[in-house]
Amino acid sequence: MAAGSRHYENKGILRMLNIGNERAPLCSGIDRRSFLQAGGATLGGLSLQQMDALEAAGAVDQKKSKIKNCITIFLVGSPGHVDTFDMKPEAPDDIRGKFKPIDTNVNGIQICEHFPLMARQMDKVAMIRSLHHKTGASHENGQRWMMTGHDFNAGNPQPYMGSIVSRVFGPQGNLPASIVLPDKIGNTGTSTPHGQKSAYLGSAHEPFFLGGDPANAGFKVANLAPPAGQTEFRINARKELLSQIDDLQRRTETRTTKNFDTAYDRAFSLLTSPETKTAFDLSTEDEKLRDRYGRNTLGQSCLMARRLIERGTRFVTVNHFDTVFNVTCWDMHANGGNLNNTYLDYENHLCPQFDWAFTALLEDLEQRGMLEDTVIAVLSEFGRTPKINNRGGRDHYPSAWTNFFAGGPIKGGQVIGSTDKIGAAPHDRPILPPEVVASVYTAMGIDLETTMMPGPGSRPIRFIEAEPIEELF
Amino acid sequence: MDQKFEGTPQAEIKLDGRKLIRGDVSNDWGLRLQWQIKRDGKVIATPLARTDMEYVHDDKTPGKYEVVLQMWKYINYKKNKQGEFTESKFIDISNTVSYTI
Repeated sequence: MAAGSRHYENKGILRMLNIGNERAPLCSGIDRRSFLQAGGATLGGLSLQQMDALEAAGAVDQKKSKIKNCITIFLVGSPGHVDTFDMKPEAPDDIRGKFKPIDTNVNGIQICEHFPLMARQMDKVAMIRSLHHKTGASHENGQRWMMTGHDFNAGNPQPYMGSIVSRVFGPQGNLPASIVLPDKIGNTGTSTPHGQKSAYLGSAHEPFFLGGDPANAGFKVANLAPPAGQTEFRINARKELLSQIDDLQRRTETRTTKNFDTAYDRAFSLLTSPETKTAFDLSTEDEKLRDRYGRNTLGQSCLMARRLIERGTRFVTVNHFDTVFNVTCWDMHANGGNLNNTYLDYENHLCPQFDWAFTALLEDLEQRGMLEDTVIAVLSEFGRTPKINNRGGRDHYPSAWTNFFAGGPIKGGQVIGSTDKIGAAPHDRPILPPEVVASVYTAMGIDLETTMMPGPGSRPIRFIEAEPIEELF
Repeated sequence: MDQKFEGTPQAEIKLDGRKLIRGDVSNDWGLRLQWQIKRDGKVIATPLARTDMEYVHDDKTPGKYEVVLQMWKYINYKKNKQGEFTESKFIDISNTVSYTI
């Protein structure tokens, strides 16, 4: 930030516009470069020329393959696979746990009794029961794998799936191409990356983080709401002033400026357009539908995800929890301290909450004719130890777990891969995280053979080194 | 950010013989929904109520049965040394119905 800006901030005058994870001065002393960067952070996508170039290269063929959208629900903390989607009823007591399996509407597929609604929609779901990875068992390891398809350290970051999608498809209308709800992942144990950043794709493709809880009665989008005392009139007045300054600059600058202007205008549109405000306004939804999703953070985030996809956003991630500490979440260590989730949390809270929201999303998308154009991926960081620990919980276990897909071109009603008798390791068709991420891209219509990303130094690079899971399609 | 739960859930239940019938839950928090069944004042069963709008309790042991619909209310995840929640709990969200066998 410029010294002058800091001066204003010290006096409490500077107002900050939060767009994506960029902070740009908005009111006194607006910084044009910062604003352009911020505009690009959530709104910049491919220019028409870039899109044309990609189409010409065969990366995006809208005529051959209809582009799909994607909603990922990320189960931060990670459910125990043996307690949920890969049950082992024949295993010893200290493995199989306290829950029982129930039949689903697909012969031969059973899931936990606490997902009774999902059991009735299993024909739409494709489960992958042989996921595993061989790197560390931290949450962040798993987050990086499942959000980017890579493991990496902070010095060599890889882009989040939503950023890749933003780079390939760009935004539609005023809404960002990629949005994360309700907020970014915070403290999950280590200070290493979570994999929800644009990395080498730059700020133009950072996801937009909602930064608010849509289940909160007084909910407003923190990153869109004008700062206190700032009205739309004042925002527009400043736009006019900046426009005049730009006119002067435009006489001397090259045509590159025009691209910046586009991002600049889009940033203002995001702030002021009725379309944007409507997209984030859940109060216009039918009350019964809001109930059907669940009047809680996950449910209302899933409902908002549908609204955003409906209005042009390409890729939405719903983070189910932003931390694993001191809250009810999937991280079932039962340690008696700040990681004290147990079977009771699963039974009373987590499983019912997910079951209610996930099946509402499936039903709602289907009733609106959107399910075939929307891929849903339910992802997590790892599984949990097959053997129950001496406190009655289960710990991190990246050697085996289950995630699943629905919607879009996904063939539902199937299980891909399996684990051994106690859920300790893949028994057949072992699948690695990059294959899951490659499957998301493929399901959305991205040709992995022909699409390249501008890597560090603008060197064209492949962004995922894996083949999609062919049984899904 | 901790989770938010909007409003207070509410539903109506009624009895048709021994068949329990519930209406939709308004302000549904989406957490565990269960029938709490008491016989002569003692809780004897808490079956899931989420998937179906009707339920018949099979138990025909003589006594006075009282039934209410309950939902889990999350306050926080604090538990005592026995692993029981200390603040989060099930709350009644409906009227109570009763029958005698």
